[in-house]
Amino acid sequence: VSPARRPPAERPQKPAPAPAARPPPAAPRADPRDRLRRILFLVPYAVRHPGTAVKELARRCGCTEKELLEDLDFLLNVGSPPFGPDDFLDVYVEGDRVHVALHQSFSRPPRFTESEAAALAAAAQALGGEGRARAVKALRDSVPRDRRASFDELSGRIYAGAPAAPDSVMGRLQRAIAERRAVRLAYHSASRDAETDRVVHPYTLAQRFGHWYLYGHDRQRERPLAFRVDRIRECAPLAERFEAPDEAELGRMRLFSEARGEPVRLRIAAGATAWALARPGIRLVKRGEDASAVVEVDAGEEWATRFALSLGGQAEVLSPPAARRHFAERVRKTLTRYGRS
Amino acid sequence: MQKDQRLLDLAALLLKAAEPVSWREIQEQFPEDYAGTGEAAIRKFERDKADLLELGIPVRYVAGDEDLPAGYLIDKDEFYLPDLKLPPEDLALLYVAGSAALAQGTFPYARDLAHALNKLSFAASAPGASESAAQATRRLSGEGEAPPAPEIVRSLEELSKAIAHKKWVDLEYRKAGAREPTERRVNPYGLYQKAGAWYLAAWCHSKRKVLTFHLSRIVSLRVNSSQPRTPDFEPEKDFSLAELASREAWEFEILAPQRCRVRLDSPVSNEVLASFGPRAKVSEEEGGVVIEITVTNPAALLRHVLSLGDAAEILAPKALRDDARAMLAELSERLA
Repeated sequence: VSPARRPPAERPQKPAPAPAARPPPAAPRADPRDRLRRILFLVPYAVRHPGTAVKELARRCGCTEKELLEDLDFLLNVGSPPFGPDDFLDVYVEGDRVHVALHQSFSRPPRFTESEAAALAAAAQALGGEGRARAVKALRDSVPRDRRASFDELSGRIYAGAPAAPDSVMGRLQRAIAERRAVRLAYHSASRDAETDRVVHPYTLAQRFGHWYLYGHDRQRERPLAFRVDRIRECAPLAERFEAPDEAELGRMRLFSEARGEPVRLRIAAGATAWALARPGIRLVKRGEDASAVVEVDAGEEWATRFALSLGGQAEVLSPPAARRHFAERVRKTLTRYGRS
Repeated sequence: MQKDQRLLDLAALLLKAAEPVSWREIQEQFPEDYAGTGEAAIRKFERDKADLLELGIPVRYVAGDEDLPAGYLIDKDEFYLPDLKLPPEDLALLYVAGSAALAQGTFPYARDLAHALNKLSFAASAPGASESAAQATRRLSGEGEAPPAPEIVRSLEELSKAIAHKKWVDLEYRKAGAREPTERRVNPYGLYQKAGAWYLAAWCHSKRKVLTFHLSRIVSLRVNSSQPRTPDFEPEKDFSLAELASREAWEFEILAPQRCRVRLDSPVSNEVLASFGPRAKVSEEEGGVVIEITVTNPAALLRHVLSLGDAAEILAPKALRDDARAMLAELSERLA
């Protein structure tokens, strides 16, 4: 049986160049189900957005262009038994644009699997916010009925951190981000060691080095900045609205590093090295003969000082000189609170 | 026929059918795959059904009645992702939460999370959800500018699967301070995050109790690969991951419990207050607050208070206050 299908017209002769410098895949051959999951998103997406460029579609599917073209090839062989001429997915690439026409079967993606829903629920639980319970219930309802018990169980197996208190700064920030509303912050600036008043267009939240950060545009300073959420004392929403930057920009922001300039170095005593190196963002520079270690982190002097003190006398800030002074000054000031014996 | 193709064809057949499709018909449509009358063909079909369910596609068997023949079907209402019917701010919450979790680079079920965000763009018009997922999946697949996934990402992924399928895991684990890793077999119960690091809570076969393992100290791991669909264990009934995860370091059982008091100067942020955990008693005092907590591991409380700098101070007990002074004096001397 050779059903009539539109040939893949003008399929580019050469597949997209494979990245040459890609490291050898360490993982075993991908599970065939991975491809199916991708396709179950790709097909409805392409139907809804006809003529999407190959490159764009690959980006959305999180695969390379080569993989995408392979997926499209694969789709050409998929039909619905008894394999009549009209039963095949009609996939073609015109220029570099993808078109998919089909019977209605795959016009929407399937329901959430229990692990998809549970992962999203765990992320939402950790972030907190008022709508959290509603969102988790809606996720549960979007899992096939047979799998809801598994969803309940799996949700109890991931805990991504304690949720924020209901009326906390975090809760208000989330609301402001969702509503694209400016906020007035009472913010403790570590560099000036003083509380400052800021008006910020809150763009997104990100977690780095175990701390939550707000990333947003500071109106007075006229540039985007990162704010440590635990240094925001007050957060009041304003009437002013703003346009958020595009998603690619937001994605880059979430990967920001707070550090400006050279990394901070710390010496860690033998007893605390394992603990310190287990923290995200800490890199080993060298080990001493006494099993102590010098480590490096891309963070500000305030973060480094707090980190060193959290190791209780088993760490000190080494460099740069300003960071060491900052650390020494904090130690001196704290010591005066306890009085010299 | 290749397995992925067979699964998709099977889904297409059942989705399109107006009434349940009998086993005989299915066999006819897939003569090479489900040939024969023996148990083997049925087992293969059952495995495929289970694979489809894992993809979110539920295949149901309907016992026939007067109107309908017996057979298999995919209930369309049960198949297509429904509209979540959430207000925009809740969708934004899901979207912000999911994107932030993925951007961390380490989150269990990260692949699932990326798929979920992709689907979210269909379940509702969450702005940019699929963009965000696309970026994240690129990171996962080692594409783009992001550095190759570190070992911990792999551990998280393997453990995520082992937890979902309840399979035991052999760990090679280096305890803090130990030079050589030790090997142990565990029943993985769950994963939790604390101060930016991920931990595995698991029942240890040799210690016969639940232990926690720091993910970055896992040297290697191997998930039991035999009978992947049959669970190896059931977690203990009274186990609560949230309880374990929300236990503060100063609540680890090391010494006899004692009451401690900590003074925090204004302004005190909610996040700093929350860092003392849900069991802390807080009372207002002029220019600040006093926190009272029961502590079984005072050294950990000392470290936490010191990290808060000169806006925090241990008031009681005296012994712990003396420890703080001694520690700071020694540091100060070294820095002078």
